[in-house]
Parts: sequence; C-alpha cells; structure tokens
Amino acid sequence: MNFLVIVLLFVVFLQTRIMDLRQAIICLSVQSAVIALACFISGIAHGEGIHIYAPGLLTIIVKVLLVPYAMLRLVSKLADERELISEINVNYSTAASAVFLVLSYLIVDKMLPGVEGRDILALSIVMILTGLTLIVMRSRAIMQMVGLITMENGIYLLGMAMTEGLPLVIEMGIFLDVLIAVMVLVILTNRLRLSFMTTDTNVLRKLKG
Amino acid sequence: MLELIYIIFALPVVCAALAISGVLGSGSLLHWLNRLTAAAVGVAVILLAQSFTPTQPFNSEYVYLDALNVWVILIITALYVAAAWVSKSYLLREHSRGYLSRTPGLIGRYYALFQMFVWTMFLVLMVKNLGLMWVAIEATTLVSAFLVSFKFTRSALEATWKYVMVCTVGICLALLGTMILYYAQISALGAEKALSWLWLTEHAELLNPSLTKLAFLFIFIGYGTKIGMAPMHTWLPDAYSEAPSLTSGLLSGALCTCAIYVLLRNIVVVIPTVGVEFISTLCLAFAALTIAVAVPFVVVQRDIKRMLAYSSMENIGLMIAGIGVFSQLSIGATLVHMFNHALIKFVLFYIAGTIVQEYQTKNMMRIHGMIGDVPHTATFWLLGIIGILGMPPLGLFFSKFYILYSLFLSGHYLLGIVIIVLLAGILIGILYHALRMLCDKAKRKPVGDLLEHADTPFLAALLLGSVIIGAGIGEIPYLEKLLAQAVRIVGGGQF
Repeated sequence: MNFLVIVLLFVVFLQTRIMDLRQAIICLSVQSAVIALACFISGIAHGEGIHIYAPGLLTIIVKVLLVPYAMLRLVSKLADERELISEINVNYSTAASAVFLVLSYLIVDKMLPGVEGRDILALSIVMILTGLTLIVMRSRAIMQMVGLITMENGIYLLGMAMTEGLPLVIEMGIFLDVLIAVMVLVILTNRLRLSFMTTDTNVLRKLKG
Repeated sequence: MLELIYIIFALPVVCAALAISGVLGSGSLLHWLNRLTAAAVGVAVILLAQSFTPTQPFNSEYVYLDALNVWVILIITALYVAAAWVSKSYLLREHSRGYLSRTPGLIGRYYALFQMFVWTMFLVLMVKNLGLMWVAIEATTLVSAFLVSFKFTRSALEATWKYVMVCTVGICLALLGTMILYYAQISALGAEKALSWLWLTEHAELLNPSLTKLAFLFIFIGYGTKIGMAPMHTWLPDAYSEAPSLTSGLLSGALCTCAIYVLLRNIVVVIPTVGVEFISTLCLAFAALTIAVAVPFVVVQRDIKRMLAYSSMENIGLMIAGIGVFSQLSIGATLVHMFNHALIKFVLFYIAGTIVQEYQTKNMMRIHGMIGDVPHTATFWLLGIIGILGMPPLGLFFSKFYILYSLFLSGHYLLGIVIIVLLAGILIGILYHALRMLCDKAKRKPVGDLLEHADTPFLAALLLGSVIIGAGIGEIPYLEKLLAQAVRIVGGGQF
C-alpha cells in the first residue's frame, strides 16, 4: 500500500505539470488505475463476497477505460491540443500541491490522531485540493474535466480508506453519475468547439450581473 | 401503495423513451402523450397522498414516504402537471418564430428531457438513503444540463458550462461530507443500514460530534451550491436566464425545492449531534448574505429572466433563514413558502418567456406599455409580481410574514431589521421594472398577445393555489395535518 501511495503522489504531481491534453488524459487514466489497484488490495483485505472485486472492476471499466476513451476521442477532433496558460502558472500549481501535502498531513493529524491509513487519507486530501486548483487555474475545458475527475478520485479514495467502501448500490450510482457527468461535459465541450472554435473556457465571460 | 409508486416511476420513463425515439413524430400526438403522462402521474400522486396517513410513514426497502416527502412531492407534482399542460403552446410559439423553427425534431428531445428531469426529482424525494439521495441529486444536475443548454446558443453553452462545473464540484463536496458522515456512522454503529437516515436519526446521539460537524459543513456547502446560496450562486442567474422559460420555472420552483428538502433531511440527521446553535448560525449567516447579494443585482437589472433569478435567490435566502431560526413557526412557514414560491415563480417564468416571445427581447428597458398592447399577459405578469413581492392576498405574503415574525420572536432583532430593509430594496427594484414594463409609453410593438386561452386556467390555478396554501391551509384538514407532521419530523424531538 505504501508503494501505491508514493506512485499515486507522483502521478498527481505530474498531473499538475502536464500541458499536453492527450498526455494529461493518459496520466489521469494511470491515476485511476492505481486507485483500482488500491481497491483490489483493500477488497481482499476487508471485503467479502462481491465487495472484493466489484469496486476495483467498476473503477477500471469507468475511470480507466470509458472516461479516458471518451475524452481522447474528443481531443482527436481538436486542432490545438495544448493548455494555454503560462509556464509560471504551472509552477504555481505544482507548488500549491506541495503546500497541500504538508497541509493535509497536518489536517489528518489534527482531526484523527493515530488513525490507521494516515498516508492514504493525507494523499486523498491532496488529490481533492489539487483537483480543485486544476479546475480553477486551467483554462482548457478538457483540463478542467481532468481536475474534476482527480477531485472525484480523491473523494473516492478518502471514502475507501475511511469506510472500506460504501454499499454497492450507492457505489454503482456514484460511478454511473461520474460516467454521465463526463459524457455531458464531453458533449458540451464538443459544442464549445463548434460554436466558439475553441475549447478555451476564458471565452465564456459574456454573462454577467 | 407500492403499485402507485411503480406507476409514478414507470410512466415518465416510457413517455421519455417514446418521445426521443420519434415514433410519434413531432405533432400533436407527442404533445398529448406528454400531457396525459403528466396527468396520469398527477392522479397517481393524488391517490398516493389519499391512501397515506400523515402520522404513519410508508417504509419499504428503498422507498420511504413520510409527511415531509409527501409535502414536497405535492409541490413537484403541481408544477409537473402545470408545466406539461402549458408546454404545448410555449413550444409551438417557439416553433413558429423562435429557435425551434429550424429544427422541429427538438420538441421530442425537449419532452424526453423534461420527463427524465421530473423523474430524477421524484427519485430524490422517495429514496430512503443519504447516499442514493446524493446520486439522485447529481442526476438532476446532469439531466437538467441539457435542458439549460437546450437552445445551444453561445450564451446557453456558457451558462450550462458554469452550471455543470460549479454544481458538480459543489455536489462532490456534498459526497465528501456524506462519506465523512458514513465514517462517523461506522465508528459508532457499525456498517449496518449504511446511511439510512431513519437509522441515523434514531442513533444520532452516538455519533462523534466533531466528525459530524465537519461532515455537515461539507454537506451544507455542497447542497448549498445546488440550492443557489451566495457565494456559491454564480451559476444560478446564468442558468435560469438562458434555459427555456418552462425549464427556468422548474429549475427555480422544483429543483431548488428538492435541494432544500435534501438539506433538511441532512439537518434532521445531524441536529441531535451538533446542536441547534451551530446549524442556526450557519443558516442565518448564509441566508442574510444570499438576500444581500441579490438586492443590487435586482435593482440594476435589465434582463427580465435574470431579475426573476435574483428574486429566487431572495426567496431562497428567506427559506434558509426560516430553517435557521428552527422553531415550530419558522419551519412551518418555510415549508409553506417552498410551496408558494414554487407555484408563483413558475407562473412568473412562464409569463416572462411569453413576454420575451411577444417583444422578441429580454431587455426590460425596451418593453413598455404592456397593459395597452398585451392585456392578457400583462394581467398575469402583474398578479405574479404582486405574488412574488409578498403582497396579500397571494400566499407568499403569509409565509414571508411568518418567517420574519419568527425571526423577531427568536430574538434576532438586528438580523430581522436588516432582512426587512433588504426586502424593501428588492420590492422597490422589482416593482420599478415591472411597472415600467406595464405602463409607460410603448416604443416597440409586440408581435401580439400570445398568451393562449388554453393556458390561462393553469396559471390562474397556480396563483389561486398559492392563495389557498398561504391563507387557507388551516381550513383543509388533510394539508394541515400533513404540514404539522412535516414540521414535527424536521423538528425531531426539539419541538
């Protein structure tokens, strides 16, 4: 498990640095794959019956395969495949993630001293906050989607570490929602491309007041 | 009982499937299918309410009905039936001169989305589990996203992008809160009956207070985003103004009510653990901020639907304030306010949509002299405005009055005075714009008085319904019992 935490932390930091949309989506897929692996390990350790493999399998199907596939198909239609923000902005978001790492250990130690799986909890808080910064700081629609899924992954990891998984019905509902949310966002991004000739969300500033 | 619930859940799905498949074309058959489905579901809900005794909750594996859900289900159903019946003429008008004129096939898609939207809201109201409730609330966002972006213009896309991004992030925070609550449940009670609110409410005193408090903070911010509380309201005016008017009415009247219901359920669960004081402070602070943010935007507004959106925020603020006071009087007034606001706001959005079709502009500065040119529409616009501002005899007067009264009764004098001053600002703003539209000299000729005679009974019924619910609820024994029981459920053991 410790090894997975380190890999995941590395992937999350990498996520803040990638500017190419295609690479960002592949990085997201890897991130979800690590979480699926963690699901299997946690399932074998604590689960019984269908709970051993169901969360991991759902994660692989939805977040490792379907979601990146839909996003990659969308990227292949785009002419310009890079994030538009400056290098300094990227450095800020990486530095922010480092700050979040320290902060999240402080939060976990303060809220739940001596809790089992302290590293996973801290990591998931890092993922949630990093996802939020990606949504706020990136201007490409696809990058904001990547941030959203990173955040969702973080919440899912937090839930898994703290509660060893929700009941299966709820979990399936959450996965279905994630899947539909990505589909909705992909369709909207495609429409953005058709109407605005770009997927830069900075053009969306007409409605005010 | 269960059969009726199956009917309520089956019919909209069948109707949506038929509408999207296009086997009925886009003619009157489709309109009538939509109307009859809504009417059938409406009858089923009435039968359900009739066979339901307020003091005896109905309980099955996934469905749970008590007075609180039935109250909200009645609100949603009233709007559903009204929206389904008036949508024909609205869509036909758009078809003859609006954005649907190039693509008539979109009518089927509209009906399919409309039915699924209502279906997800019924799902929110009937599930008996906080986790599934979260799933259903997120589903309402996703279905209504396509309704908001229905015109697929640039501004509609912008509004939808904001709506989906802000609401999904907000709702993800609510998921985080729900997971923390589940952790509190597991460490106190074990994994049995995960997130069932009945179970949690029964054993609420065993939960860890600081964990529950943290969970509730996330839940409050998350569902608060969906309700449209300031400062998480940024999506609200955009989504309400860019959606087709029928949808705006449902977003404001029905969806917002559902989100408040979900928040109420969570409050019922956590209140024995975290205490009234904490929740009260949180609610009152956000309520005051929401109303305060709405005032300047209403006063300087030019877009007719944005003005209504900010007036929704004002009412949301009042409802949250009512929850924050947390006394028998204020909760009852809040529940009545939910009903009244839904009915009147739907009428107003529908009329605003009609005005936009008549004058071909959303800019209120270009619309004048409605009383002379479009008397029918003007009458309903005036009645709706009187209603939403909380003037008697329309029902909002009574619920608004009781919410403010309970604020003073509970000793929040300063807050009460501030809210009254802010409400006066909103009244001046809306009245100024509405009266300028009604009177003044007409510079621009409307296309004609487009409000059809077939629609007026429904709009009148909604307005009249608000009068009855607001003033005469004590005279209808069933509703009175339902409301009293719903208030008791929200109060828990507190009152």
